[in-house]
Amino acid sequence: MTIFTKYKELLVELTKREIKARYKQSVLGYAWVILNPFFQMLVMAFVFSKILRITNLSVPYALFLYVGLLPWNLFATSVTSSMNSLVANSSLLTKIYFPREVFVLSTIAAKIVDFLLASIILVIFFIFFHQSVTANIWWVLPIFMIQQLFTYGLSLILAAFNLFYRDIQYLFGLIILTWMYLTPVIYPTEMFPERYRWIFKLNPMAVIINAYRQVLLSGGTPNLTSLGIALGLSIGMVAIGYKIFKRLEGMFADVV
Amino acid sequence: MSSSSNISIQINHVSKLFHKQNQRTFKELIPALFGGQKVVESFWALKDINLEIKKGKTIGVIGPNGSGKSTLLKLIAGVSQPTKGKIITHGKVAPLIELGAGFHPELTGRENVFLNGIILGMSRAEVTEKFKKIVDFAEIWDFIDQPVKHYSSGMYLRLAFAVAVHTQPEILLVDEILAVGDVSFQAKCFKKMDEFKNNGITIIYVSHAIESVRGFCDKVLYIDQGKMMDYGESGKVVEKYLEEMNVISK
Repeated sequence: MTIFTKYKELLVELTKREIKARYKQSVLGYAWVILNPFFQMLVMAFVFSKILRITNLSVPYALFLYVGLLPWNLFATSVTSSMNSLVANSSLLTKIYFPREVFVLSTIAAKIVDFLLASIILVIFFIFFHQSVTANIWWVLPIFMIQQLFTYGLSLILAAFNLFYRDIQYLFGLIILTWMYLTPVIYPTEMFPERYRWIFKLNPMAVIINAYRQVLLSGGTPNLTSLGIALGLSIGMVAIGYKIFKRLEGMFADVV
Repeated sequence: MSSSSNISIQINHVSKLFHKQNQRTFKELIPALFGGQKVVESFWALKDINLEIKKGKTIGVIGPNGSGKSTLLKLIAGVSQPTKGKIITHGKVAPLIELGAGFHPELTGRENVFLNGIILGMSRAEVTEKFKKIVDFAEIWDFIDQPVKHYSSGMYLRLAFAVAVHTQPEILLVDEILAVGDVSFQAKCFKKMDEFKNNGITIIYVSHAIESVRGFCDKVLYIDQGKMMDYGESGKVVEKYLEEMNVISK
């Protein structure tokens, strides 16, 4: 926890570097953060509502998709970038000591900023489709926290392993794609064969995405049992991830 | 503290075993595992280094490439742990970070001063306070709001050095990098380091520029293949090093 007090400024500075550097060179600058998921959503919405036809939804498909796609993208990009954060900062890693999880945390923080900006479009969508929200919207915060815990734990493990074997990043590219299809991002849970649906219970991302939809689109409360399991798994992930990371930390400068 | 108050760095019988991973990808690793090849190879990068450095001394470290000089710096900086023995440092260690490491090419000089300063352990307020001094020292006011990718390597170095020396280190680690600066800036750096010396700051100076080591350092450590070959008065150790290197090349 000292990381958020003693190293707060370092964390902020590295996060700013991450954000600034990425968009300084492009003409549209930060607009890409918003445009990218927006166009991704348009293409997918076209494919899945006009060609493959996912129907029987209580809300327009575009809205249904976006509520799932934004947090999914946040998860996928956070983990993928975090995994590379140690390798990318290898020259700092070998010169100066500060807790190495700062690299992972600042990478995730930068992605959260992207996510918040991309969410502007979602708000516009809500207005455009006259989608009303209920008081249950506050659930978004705890759901988001659980997602971040899970992301952080997984990122710690992958970032550390990737230093030793760079293949992890390529392997993970494959895994994250499979993972997305095994998570109800582009389709509703009800379309998934019932006898395999238990998979979603063990997949915190499935629980999280469903929970977002439940509180944002249906105005209800999330399934607390599932969310409880997801919370437990996420805390476990952070505990294990942190332990592995700290165990290997002393070797980072030697293997990089 | 009382007995060690004038000791800056204590290196107690330090050895460092490196595990060299022969295969960095699965494509290499999997056949190696089946073929019974060694996955990890070990070698001693440092063997039983033992010395005590007093506060305010400037120590040169010399030796051929791959002798373990950088490893020693890493151990002092605390980024790597000794396999055997112990290193105790008293006071804040500031490494002179190699070009590019703490800097981002797309960010401006100004942004990079803050980034680098905070990476080196200053607070934002401290950097703000010293900002003028840092840029004055680096002499890059004209370019301070330009992205550093447009800087020459000399300008880069000047900025990096300026930030590092303004972090108020108690131990300054200087690796090779000074070689990039022009003559006048090098002179300025040495002047600054002289000032450090007088203020009781310990400097570890790693270089192949033998003459500057001889002129600048109080004592010199000569290592080869991880072993301490000699440690003592600069002139004598440098002489020995040059002699032995010549013997090898003859």
